[in-house]
Amino acid sequence: MTSERSGSPVRRGRSTSPRPLSPPGDDASIIDSLGDSRKLQALGRKVTATAGSLINAEGVSQHYHHALGELHKELRRPGLQRSVFSFAQTTPRDLVRSRISVPEIQHRALASLPDELLHNIPEDNNQYSLFQGFQASLPEEPEQSQGHRKRGKRGQKLLGGLDDDEDPNAPPSMAKLKSKKHSLSHRLEMMGVRKHMCATEIHEIDNKIANLNTMRKIVLDRLAGLEMEEADIEVDLLEVGNKIEDLQEELDDAAALAPKSPESPELTQEEEKEETDGFMSESIYQKIPSPKNKRRRAMRRISMPILHEHLEPGSKIKEIEAHTDVVTALDFDSPWGTLVTASLDDTVRVWDLSAGRCIGLLEGHLSSVRCLQVEDNIVATGSMDASIRLWDLSKAEYAPLDNRINKSSEEDDGLAFENSADPPPPPPPTIMQDCPLFSLESHVDEVTALHFKGNTLVSGSSDKTLRQWDLVKGRCVQTLDVLWAAAQATATMNTNPADPWKQTGRVTDTSADFVGALQVFDAALACGTADCMVRLWDLRSGQVHRSLVGHTGPVTALQFDDVHLVTGSLDRSIRIWDLRTGSIFDAYAYDHPVTSMMFDARRIVTAAGEDVVKVYDKTDGRHWNCGPGADEEDTPLSSTIERVRIKEGYMVEGRKNGVIGVWSC
Amino acid sequence: MTPSLPYAADVESPLKPDELDVLRHQYEREGEYVGLQTKFNYAWGLIKSNQRPEQQEGVRLLSEIFRSSSERRRECLYYLALGNYKLGNYAEARRYNDFLLDLEPANLQAGSLKELIDEKVAKEGLMGVAIVGGLAVAAGVVGSMLFRGVRRR
Repeated sequence: MTSERSGSPVRRGRSTSPRPLSPPGDDASIIDSLGDSRKLQALGRKVTATAGSLINAEGVSQHYHHALGELHKELRRPGLQRSVFSFAQTTPRDLVRSRISVPEIQHRALASLPDELLHNIPEDNNQYSLFQGFQASLPEEPEQSQGHRKRGKRGQKLLGGLDDDEDPNAPPSMAKLKSKKHSLSHRLEMMGVRKHMCATEIHEIDNKIANLNTMRKIVLDRLAGLEMEEADIEVDLLEVGNKIEDLQEELDDAAALAPKSPESPELTQEEEKEETDGFMSESIYQKIPSPKNKRRRAMRRISMPILHEHLEPGSKIKEIEAHTDVVTALDFDSPWGTLVTASLDDTVRVWDLSAGRCIGLLEGHLSSVRCLQVEDNIVATGSMDASIRLWDLSKAEYAPLDNRINKSSEEDDGLAFENSADPPPPPPPTIMQDCPLFSLESHVDEVTALHFKGNTLVSGSSDKTLRQWDLVKGRCVQTLDVLWAAAQATATMNTNPADPWKQTGRVTDTSADFVGALQVFDAALACGTADCMVRLWDLRSGQVHRSLVGHTGPVTALQFDDVHLVTGSLDRSIRIWDLRTGSIFDAYAYDHPVTSMMFDARRIVTAAGEDVVKVYDKTDGRHWNCGPGADEEDTPLSSTIERVRIKEGYMVEGRKNGVIGVWSC
Repeated sequence: MTPSLPYAADVESPLKPDELDVLRHQYEREGEYVGLQTKFNYAWGLIKSNQRPEQQEGVRLLSEIFRSSSERRRECLYYLALGNYKLGNYAEARRYNDFLLDLEPANLQAGSLKELIDEKVAKEGLMGVAIVGGLAVAAGVVGSMLFRGVRRR
């Protein structure tokens, strides 16, 4: 059985591992000096050195040293005892091989198992042995069973006889049938083994997935930590930058003061000129009186937090008990950035999303705020008092992560967003005192929708007009009368002279806001109104250039990108329109009226009168729920969701009971 | 019936090269996250081979399996014993096989393997003794002849 081996002691080692760089003469010299145990130890050391450098993996090398240690022990035994012991156990060839040939010793060190492992053998309850698995994975041959039998005959004496149940006296047809039965049962058995193999493999894969998931969690924690650190460093950077600026200003002042007397007339002239320049061209932002812009804190983050993108979709990031009444509007600038919420309790609150606490209140409106938008540092709010106010959050006296201003006590731990259960410290009333920029007051009824982009703000009001504002000049540049446009459309489209006043839209639902939603982009304006219409305006001409008819209830939500316009309505449906053709691209409906809707690159999120946010995955067309009602347990704060916003997979929703929820989506 | 463990005869029948290639290919394709069965298949295919380096590689893979998956240790003991037996490492083979027999005294395959090992050791040992003895006799004869020749001079 072992005749194929030549038994040469200096046979080449495992083909996959590089051979140690021993000179070829060494082997011979070692054999010569077999009796000299000191030299043998030297050989052992050499093997340790060469092989140890080959195998660097910790587990293996440790085990390797251990194994070599065993070899050493054996080598140190007295020669006579060794030979007696060994000869009883094994053959001389094996002995020679295990003592002399370097690759052999290497291989043994790699492959041999320490006794601890051998003692630790649990009971096995496997459905099939690995060998059966091996057999089952080999391609099936029809005469396999016969071949097996033949082989079995050869080793019959060792096997103690195979199950030779064939009766030589039976008729040939019987034998044939029996062999067929045999092969069939064999195949059946193989099938069973294969099935179990698959099950085991699936189990293995599950284990691997679980492992990977834990690894992912660890890395995610690391990412969260890094983002915290990043925020810290940004704050530090900002502080240092401010200090440099202050110092620079001081230096400049000093420098300006020094040579003042000789050229004072020129300076006054210059000053005058500056003043006139400012009066002529400076934007409205700087015209607002503000007590010396010393604290010019850019609230905007330099780095982009990405943590939420790697959280499980639909996992809760935060829950804030923000208001005591229905949330009427909310918006945030960027994930983990600044959130502004408005409620029927007549407050407008600004939140730091990364710290999860209230920065301050925007005060000035005489009534509840119905709509708002946050863009960078600028907040626009439209209120039931018919005015629109603009705010600059960068003027707020807020240090994002230290509590010096917010609170004098040393309650610094409250900023970690995990313990959101702690009531956040109430912000000082003065913190937002520099924020108001100006207000726009031309509407004669409550402002229900607004949107701004660049220097253009468009607002929609219950007085049934839309107004376009120039944010630089701070005045209304155009008024669009929706009813007039509707009448125009009726007059031009309706060819029946008998009924010239028939409306294109349906009867206006008086309970809903007349202008439910609007969005502006450059000269394009889209607005959805209570007469179930979606109108696309051209701001250059002030005309409606397209009306989208289809909704059967007041339009409450609207957003468009470069291809599609998505609208939500109290008729419970979401409609996706093709902007180029004006036709319906897709539509779906929920069980309750849609009160709010927004989409980002991947998902359309909708608040539809339930305690969950309805999510529609645009990429795979999947509908799912996200929010407090999505999982059954742990919903003490759940309530009907009124408003929802999403940006880059970071979703914020506001509920009827005043709670704000933040989710990854 | 396929026995749950192979008899020693099974290990002596090498696979066809292309069969072994299939197993190797699968083993390499699964890379770092190689499945247990795939690894075993390749290891077993290697052990069945006629090439000593391949057999050694097979035994090494088996020992890896033994380390990594404790629920397969018991049967791995047998495969290791068989592999070492084929390699001619009778001491190791006996060690593993004895461990297995301690756990499962009724194991047919392990029992027969033990017999086989004993047989092999006895035979080769005798042969070794014969060779050594023969050499000694020859040396003695030569030496005595030389001695005698010297004496005669």
